[in-house]
Amino acid sequence: MNGKGRLADWLAGLRGLGVTLGLAFALAIACMLLLSREPLAAIYSFFIGPFTNRYALGNMLNTAVPLVFTGLGISLAFKSSVYNLGGEGQVYAGGLAATAVCLALPAANGYLGGLLALAASGVVSAILGGLSGFFRMRWNADEMISSFLISAAVILVVDYCITGPLDDPSNNLLSTYAIGAQYQLLRIFPPSRLNGSAFIALAAAGMGWLFLYKSQAGYEMRMCGLNREFARYGGINVSTYLVLPMVLSGGLHGLAGGLSVLGTYGASIKGFSSGMGWNGIAVALIARNNPLGVLPASLLFAYLDAGARAATLGSDITYEIVAVIQSVIFYLVTAQALWGLNRRRAA
Amino acid sequence: MNESPYALPVVHSAVGIMTPLLLAAIGGLFTELAGMLNIALEGLILSGAFFSVILASATNSLALGILLGVACAMLLALLFGSVTLFLRANGFITGLATNLLASGLTIVLANQFFHTKGVIQFHNIPRLPVLTVPPALQRIPLVGDVLFGNNIIVYITWAIVLVSTLIIYRSSFGLRLRATGLSPRTIVSLGLSPKSYQLAGILISGATCGMAGAMLSLQLAAFVPESSAGRGWIALVAIYLGNKTPWGIVIAAFVFGMAESLSNYAQGVITVPADFILALPYVITVAAMILYAIYRHYRAPRA
Repeated sequence: MNGKGRLADWLAGLRGLGVTLGLAFALAIACMLLLSREPLAAIYSFFIGPFTNRYALGNMLNTAVPLVFTGLGISLAFKSSVYNLGGEGQVYAGGLAATAVCLALPAANGYLGGLLALAASGVVSAILGGLSGFFRMRWNADEMISSFLISAAVILVVDYCITGPLDDPSNNLLSTYAIGAQYQLLRIFPPSRLNGSAFIALAAAGMGWLFLYKSQAGYEMRMCGLNREFARYGGINVSTYLVLPMVLSGGLHGLAGGLSVLGTYGASIKGFSSGMGWNGIAVALIARNNPLGVLPASLLFAYLDAGARAATLGSDITYEIVAVIQSVIFYLVTAQALWGLNRRRAA
Repeated sequence: MNESPYALPVVHSAVGIMTPLLLAAIGGLFTELAGMLNIALEGLILSGAFFSVILASATNSLALGILLGVACAMLLALLFGSVTLFLRANGFITGLATNLLASGLTIVLANQFFHTKGVIQFHNIPRLPVLTVPPALQRIPLVGDVLFGNNIIVYITWAIVLVSTLIIYRSSFGLRLRATGLSPRTIVSLGLSPKSYQLAGILISGATCGMAGAMLSLQLAAFVPESSAGRGWIALVAIYLGNKTPWGIVIAAFVFGMAESLSNYAQGVITVPADFILALPYVITVAAMILYAIYRHYRAPRA
C-alpha cells in the first residue's frame, strides 16, 4: 500500500472513531435528558465530574490500569485470530489467586510475597485461558465458547470462595480477609487509589508492542492471525499459536485481577472485577489491537466509567447507564461502513 | 410432604427447564443455518424476560405481555442484525454489544420505573395456564410427565419446533436460508439478497428468544436481573451438539434439562453450596461440548 492510501485509511479510521464516540456521547446525553429529573446536573457531573478533584481524577486513571492489561490480553489473542471470551472469569480468578497467596503468607516480605502473588494470579488465569486454547488445538473445540463457559463457571466458584471459606465475617462487605499491609502497592496520587500498578501497566503496553512487532514469536503470531494456512505453508508451527495467545491472554487478565487486589482493593470483594473482561474487548477493538493504542483506549473507557460514577453521586442517574453507552461503542467499533474500510476486499 | 402428582418429577421438571433453552436454540438455528454466529441469544432472552413480565403487568394480560415481550426482543434483534449486516460490523462483537445493552438497559429501566435493581415482583399477573388432566393420566410414567401438566409456553414451543422443521426442510424460504449459509453466491445468482435471509434468521431468533424470556419471567411473575443466566450460551452449544438439526437440538436441550433437573434434586439430598449448583450447567455444557469435539475429531475421515 502506498503512503497516500495509508493516510486515507488513517483519516477514515479517525472519522470512524469520531462517529462512534460522537454517537456514544450523544446517546449518553439523550439518556440523561430522558431519565433524569435534573438533566443538566447529570450531564455536568458525567462529563466534567471526573476532572473536578484529585480523588476522582486519580481513581479514573486507576480504573484504566486493569483495562490496559485486559485490553492487551485481548489484543494479543485477536491479533492471532484467537478469541478469548473468558476474560471476566480470568480477571476474577487472578484476583482470588493473588489474595490467597497473600493470605497464606501473612508475614512474608512485601516484595517477594507480592511477586509470588502476582505470579500466582498470572499462572492460574494463563492455565484457564490455555485450557481453551488446548481444546481448540487438540480437538478443534471452539475456544470462544469454551472460554466463555469455563469463565462463567469459574466466576461462581470464585464467588463461593470469597463468600465462603475466605470470607471475613467482621466486615459487612462480601469480601475476603484483608491482605497484609506490606503488600499494598504505593499510592502515588493521594487521596485517590491510583498506585504503582500504573507504571507496570505502562511497561506492559510497551512490552506487548515489542513482543508483537519486534520478536519472532510475535511475528509468527500475527502471521497466523492474518492467514493460518499461509503461515503453515511458511513453516510456522500454527498449532502452537492456538494455545500461546490464549495462555498470554489469560495471564494478562490474571495480572489485571492480581494488581487490582494488591493496588486498589486490598482484598477480593465479590464482583470486584465485573466488567473488566468485557471492557477489555472494547478497549482492544478501539485500539485496533495495537498494544500502544490500548493506553488511550483504556483511558477512554475509564473516563466513561468515572463519568457514570460521578453522575451517580451528583444526580439521580444510575451507574448502569455506562453499560448502555459502552454497548453503542461495541456496536459501532467494528462497523466497516463507518470506518471507511469499504475499499477492503471481504475476506 | 405432599405426594407429587407426577410419576417421575425429575423428568417433568426437566421438560420445563429445557423449554427456554429449546426455544432459544431453535431460533438460533435459523441464524446459524444462514451462516451467522448468534452470540446475542443471551441478551435477547433477557430483554424478552424483562419486557414480557412488565408489559403483562401493565396491560393486565398474559397474552399481550408475551406478544409485546417477543416484539421487544425482535426489535433488539433488528438492531443487532442491521448494525451487523448493513453497517458491516463484526457479528461476534455486535452480539456482545447486544448482551451488554440488554443487561444495562434492563437495570436502568428497572431503576427508573420500579426504583430497584433487584428482583421485581408483580402481584397482578395470573399464572401461566397449565394443561391439567385426570390424575390417572398424569401418573403414567414418562408419558404423563412429558405430555401433561406443562404450561402453555411448553406446548407453543413444541408447535414452534414442528413448524420450524417444516420451514427449514420443506419450504423455499428454508431452502434459501440454508443456501445462504452454504453458498451466498447461489442466492445472489438467483437475484436475491443473502443479507435479507440472514436478517430473517436473526429476527426469528429474536422472536423465539423473546418467548424463552417470557417463560422465565412469567412463570415466576417476577423479573430477576440477569435471569437469562447463560441460557443463550448453552443454547448456542445445544445447536452444535444437535448437529444443527431441530430434532438433534430437542435431544441436546433435553439432556441439558435433565442434567439441571437432576442437580436440583441432588441439592435436596446432599448439601452443596448454591454457587456450585449454579456453576453446574456451565460445567456440563463445556464438558458436553468438548466430548462432542473429541467424538467428531476421531470420527472424521483422515485426509
